[in-house]
Amino acid sequence: MLGFLRSTILSKIVMTVSGAAIVGFLIAHLTGNLLIFGGPEKINAYGQGLRDLGLLLLFLRIGLVVTFVLHIVTSIYLADKNRTARPVSYTKKKSIQSTIASRTMFFSGLTILTFVVYHLLHFTYGIVQPEFYHGEYILHDGRTVPDIYSMMIHGFQNPFIVITYLLAVTFVCLHLSHAIGSAFQTLGINHTKYNGIIKKAGMGLATILWLGYMSIPFGIMAGVLKLTNGGH
Amino acid sequence: MKLVLKIWRQQNGNSEGKIVDYMLDDVSPDMSFLEMLDVLNEKLIAKNEEPVAFDHDCREGICGACSLIINGVPHGPEKATTTCQLHMRKFNDGEEIVIEPWRASAFPVIKDLVVDRSSFDRIIQKGGFITANTGNAQDGNTLPISKIDADASMDAAACIGCGACVAACKNGSASLFVAAKLSHLGLLPQGQPERGSRVLAMVMQMDEEGFGSCTNTYDCEAACPKEISVKNIARMNRDFFKASLFGV
Repeated sequence: MLGFLRSTILSKIVMTVSGAAIVGFLIAHLTGNLLIFGGPEKINAYGQGLRDLGLLLLFLRIGLVVTFVLHIVTSIYLADKNRTARPVSYTKKKSIQSTIASRTMFFSGLTILTFVVYHLLHFTYGIVQPEFYHGEYILHDGRTVPDIYSMMIHGFQNPFIVITYLLAVTFVCLHLSHAIGSAFQTLGINHTKYNGIIKKAGMGLATILWLGYMSIPFGIMAGVLKLTNGGH
Repeated sequence: MKLVLKIWRQQNGNSEGKIVDYMLDDVSPDMSFLEMLDVLNEKLIAKNEEPVAFDHDCREGICGACSLIINGVPHGPEKATTTCQLHMRKFNDGEEIVIEPWRASAFPVIKDLVVDRSSFDRIIQKGGFITANTGNAQDGNTLPISKIDADASMDAAACIGCGACVAACKNGSASLFVAAKLSHLGLLPQGQPERGSRVLAMVMQMDEEGFGSCTNTYDCEAACPKEISVKNIARMNRDFFKASLFGV
């Protein structure tokens, strides 16, 4: 049992399970964000609903942070072990059947981490665009809540932010295009009967997430989503 | 054929190595890659120079002694072929060929292109055996083995332990080698008594030797001269997980 805790295979299982939890978060986060297409009332009420969870929201956030930390710390441990496993590099080396995504997981992960920090500073803590962070909206039930709807629209009217977002979402999907199939292999699921489906499902999920997340800035740029008079 | 060879030369494990260029004329396309190196060495010896050290033994693709990263690929450009079975007709006249040893901290260079692969032997010592009754061998037909398991076990047993998987892997992981040995024994009834303890011991030794972890890029599978499948790695992960959680 002790050997199990020290082994690289356990580390890989930690990567897989924490990664799967993060994918779960990505799906939930996207589902919530897509409410923007339902208009300011929908998304602002959703945001308030999350805040109303109170202590539960705090626990969810702590859980998410712990998951991210596990994923990152384990990846650093493994990447370091992998680097020291080949102290002298080849003069000439070709990859034979590996994909770019599979060879650049650490780099894409690092890019995503940098973006997550920026994204939190932008939409969660309002440090990037403080001028759009303090808007208020009056819900149908009369409660005054933070205006997420106009904050998102103002945010994505800035081309720099749209490009950053586009790059980050692309890196997330590149990361996932390897991660999902790889997770099954690490958990010991590799069977001729299911490999095709697993590969397609992984690519499909990565593509759906990309389209879903990008639909918001694209919708704003195309003018489908625009500022309403509902906000103050 | 004329060739420009760029070969890694290193006096011993403690010295610095470097790539040295050699021009070789009159190479027959029917020579094997190792015969081409033999010709080069004869010329070097005639000039009173130190010949290039490289590993070889059976020269018929079954012993696992030969190695070499040829133009960035373990065992060279031909799929499912060891260096000794690779022929010069696979190269072009005037081509530049870079030849390097396997690179891994667990495979230290002994001299030139020769590396020490005894880390593999230590992994095998940890679990590459079965429990067998002493006395007369029993009748083989009394042990029913399904055709599917027998085939999968034999496919894994094709591993010659050359180390191309480690050399190809960007992480220097020995997962494919270890997984092949585990499937070879673990799929047969004779290998069942130690199936759990074997996977724990061999994986721990693999980690201890300083091999990297598997990131499922699958370059090992493509580099393997015996076409060992990465399915064996999934089986290793499964067995390791089971043995760790539920005991051996």
